[in-house]
Amino acid sequence: MTTETTDTIAKLDTEGLTLRSVNLWQITWRRLFRRRSAMVGLVILGTLIFIALAAPMLAPYDPTISMLDADPPQKIKARSAPCIHLLGCPEDQPQHIAGVDGNLRDQYSRLIYGSRLSLMVGFSTVTFAIIIGTVLGAMAGYFGGWLDNVIMRVMDVLLAFPSLLLAIAIVTVLGPGLINALLAIGIVSIPAYARVMRASVLTVREMDFVSATRSLGGNTYDILFKCILPNALTPLIVQGTLGIASAILDAAALSFIGLGAQPPTPEWGSMLGAERNQVFTAPHLVFYPGFAIMLTVLAFNLVGDGLRDALDPRLVHASS
Amino acid sequence: MKKNLSVLLSLVVLASVLLAACGGAATEAPAATDAPAATEAPVATEVAATEAPIPDVSIATFDGTSLSVPAEECNGDYIGAVQSVVATDANTVTFTLCRPDPAFLSKIAFSPFSIYPSEWLESASTTDLLEKPIGTGAYVVSEWNRGESITFTANPTHWGDAPEAETIVFRWSSESAARLLELQSGTIDGMDNVGPEDFDTVRGDSNLSLVERPALNVFYVGMTNTFAPFDNQGVRQAIAMGIDRQRIVDNFYPAGSEVASHFTPCAIPNGCVGDAWYEFDATAAKAKLAEAGFPDGFKTKLYYRDVVRGYLPNVSTVAQDIQAQLKENLNIDAEIVVMESGAFIDASGTGSLDGLYLLGWGADYPHITNFLDYHFGAANPQFGNQSDTYTDLLVQGAQIGIPADAESIYVEANNAIREFVPMIPVAHGGSATAYRADVTNQQASPLTNEYFAVSDPGGRDVFVWMQNAEPISMFCADESDGESLRACEQVTEALYSYVVNGTDTVPALAESCTPNDDLTVWTCALRQGVTFSDGSAFDAADVVATFNMGLNIASPTHKGNTGTFFYYDYLWGLMKKPGG
Repeated sequence: MTTETTDTIAKLDTEGLTLRSVNLWQITWRRLFRRRSAMVGLVILGTLIFIALAAPMLAPYDPTISMLDADPPQKIKARSAPCIHLLGCPEDQPQHIAGVDGNLRDQYSRLIYGSRLSLMVGFSTVTFAIIIGTVLGAMAGYFGGWLDNVIMRVMDVLLAFPSLLLAIAIVTVLGPGLINALLAIGIVSIPAYARVMRASVLTVREMDFVSATRSLGGNTYDILFKCILPNALTPLIVQGTLGIASAILDAAALSFIGLGAQPPTPEWGSMLGAERNQVFTAPHLVFYPGFAIMLTVLAFNLVGDGLRDALDPRLVHASS
Repeated sequence: MKKNLSVLLSLVVLASVLLAACGGAATEAPAATDAPAATEAPVATEVAATEAPIPDVSIATFDGTSLSVPAEECNGDYIGAVQSVVATDANTVTFTLCRPDPAFLSKIAFSPFSIYPSEWLESASTTDLLEKPIGTGAYVVSEWNRGESITFTANPTHWGDAPEAETIVFRWSSESAARLLELQSGTIDGMDNVGPEDFDTVRGDSNLSLVERPALNVFYVGMTNTFAPFDNQGVRQAIAMGIDRQRIVDNFYPAGSEVASHFTPCAIPNGCVGDAWYEFDATAAKAKLAEAGFPDGFKTKLYYRDVVRGYLPNVSTVAQDIQAQLKENLNIDAEIVVMESGAFIDASGTGSLDGLYLLGWGADYPHITNFLDYHFGAANPQFGNQSDTYTDLLVQGAQIGIPADAESIYVEANNAIREFVPMIPVAHGGSATAYRADVTNQQASPLTNEYFAVSDPGGRDVFVWMQNAEPISMFCADESDGESLRACEQVTEALYSYVVNGTDTVPALAESCTPNDDLTVWTCALRQGVTFSDGSAFDAADVVATFNMGLNIASPTHKGNTGTFFYYDYLWGLMKKPGG
């Protein structure tokens, strides 16, 4: 027991010494790699990104084409179960490793192309929300006074609505469609980032180095975006990573009820929604898109949790 | 590190600009804001602001035993069919029509024309009117838990055979899988519209039985020829040739469905006389489209409402297949636009949709006029401008009583419709109901008006039926929704009715209705000794009062859920003429 403790301290000391000579990102990566759950998340995420990038090479068919229009046309029944030749499916039947959907499209190809859309949804909505939220939060925190009051009250109003309900309302006004769904999810995500940014600005703006910059004649832009923003970036990254997961879920939910991606776009939520009545007759059409959503959200959550731990100095010793 | 952050920030800003650009473009696309109905609305309000619409004026006279319009109005502005409804004596009612109507009995048997007690029509509160109708049927409404269920109990004063089950309960769910799950678990005794993919499941379950419903309906791809490029007959014909309808029926319709050779199902006399619809020929279709001036196709929209109907059981799947076929065969880019059901019906009915749309029709009564006259009559703006070549023929055909005598007219009319292509008939969709195996007299009525008084739920006290949706109201004189009409069927009765599970008419509250030689006067001898569920006696005055309620727009009893009295207006014509 004593030996173990000593070893740990020595290790920590060594790490502490090393840390002084590397930057924040290297430390973060190192800490992240030590967390198994985060590593699992990163591996899943990496795989998903690879699948999304290599979709045209991995998908055997165009995700929007019916097998009746394939070259050559295939005589196959709608919602056929998966057929994998290696697992004994007769060679004279066309191989569809995740089956075909109600429109006789290859489900596997649609799942693969769906990863592109889900990742795009996650990253773009969160990027949009971070930009707007950061600017609003920074202005509110830095200038304070009536501007702070106005901005944060508007954020409070946005937060008062259940996010999905507000997104549905926004899409209803703008009209169904993927881009409008992205905008809606982006808008409902803004308050979280504005709050985080404002809290960080409030903490940092009174620090000595900010006062020094101000006294040296630094303008508001420099102070906000060169001094304060870099120091507020850590919580934003954590919040953003976790936010991607909820953005993907929200987009899937909107598509499920027909307000997101429109047919024939291969989107996991809409694939799930279109075949919801087939849960007993063709479970593969419900299981695979559902599993894909679950896996992606899990990956982002694991990575987000890992990042939070890795970036939080108070958790370093506790969780190493 | 600062450098890294600057790079990161630049990337983020760049992404936001791109996103904003995308967002801007996308906001132009949405269906709801782009729908022609919405863009045309301001025009309507502008007109309204400057010139208030002149309301129609009633031309009806009602004195308790007689409802009539002046005979000369039949040759004037009045477009209705009924000249008078007169109680000749306590048990005889005479209908005098402006023009011959061979489908009189088929129409009069339709449940919106059920008879109500005259006193009740005058005194019922709105709630009672809509939720607790008084009729002469086998059941009475005992409880309606909105959103949950309606309970009917046997009417002790019913003149006919006592119902098999003392109580029936109507429940509803929009998901076919949920309905089937309830049936499999034994919580319901029967369900409507089995999902096409579940037919085999039901057939393979010895505890259940499947009853296929004859396809007395039509699913069609509509278009309005007042919008380009559908104003071009060549374009319409090209699309008619460019959609493989057999493929749609084979892959997305249940057994019992068939490709529509004509708009009207063949089961209806004269329905499919004349040339069959265009055969699928992608090459000819493309050539036709090029000849019409669109060699590279064009962009349009494909509108539909996401609701299941017997004529279109897989609406989203069929829409996507038609979208794919249009692209593949004609290079037409059709953007799918899903609309709310009510808005879709309004927009399609008024000819406001600027693209293709998916709609259908189920028979109200088994007569060709129910299909052709409604859709292709001169007054219907649904497909834009109708062609005189068939509208005139339809008026002629509707006045001939014997189907064989009208055949040559309907051959010409069907051929003219085929040539003009106001729409593309795709399929007559089969559907099915399912029951627990021990239920007797299992029904799947071609008119979707199942009558459960004749079904014994395996000796159980309560028969539970689950349909697609909750009835809107139980005052069916002013309803057009099939889910409502089926519920009314259990409670109210008309002068005639359709045989259970069929389309032939049989006497109900009338013992007979006989026409004169030219089919313009129908005299109905009423059944005697019948009482309503409130205890009042049924007589000829009730029949006249009921038709006064439906047809006379000036009557204080002409009120209901919407006040439009759709079927009275559509099948008989309200007793009014344009004001001013």
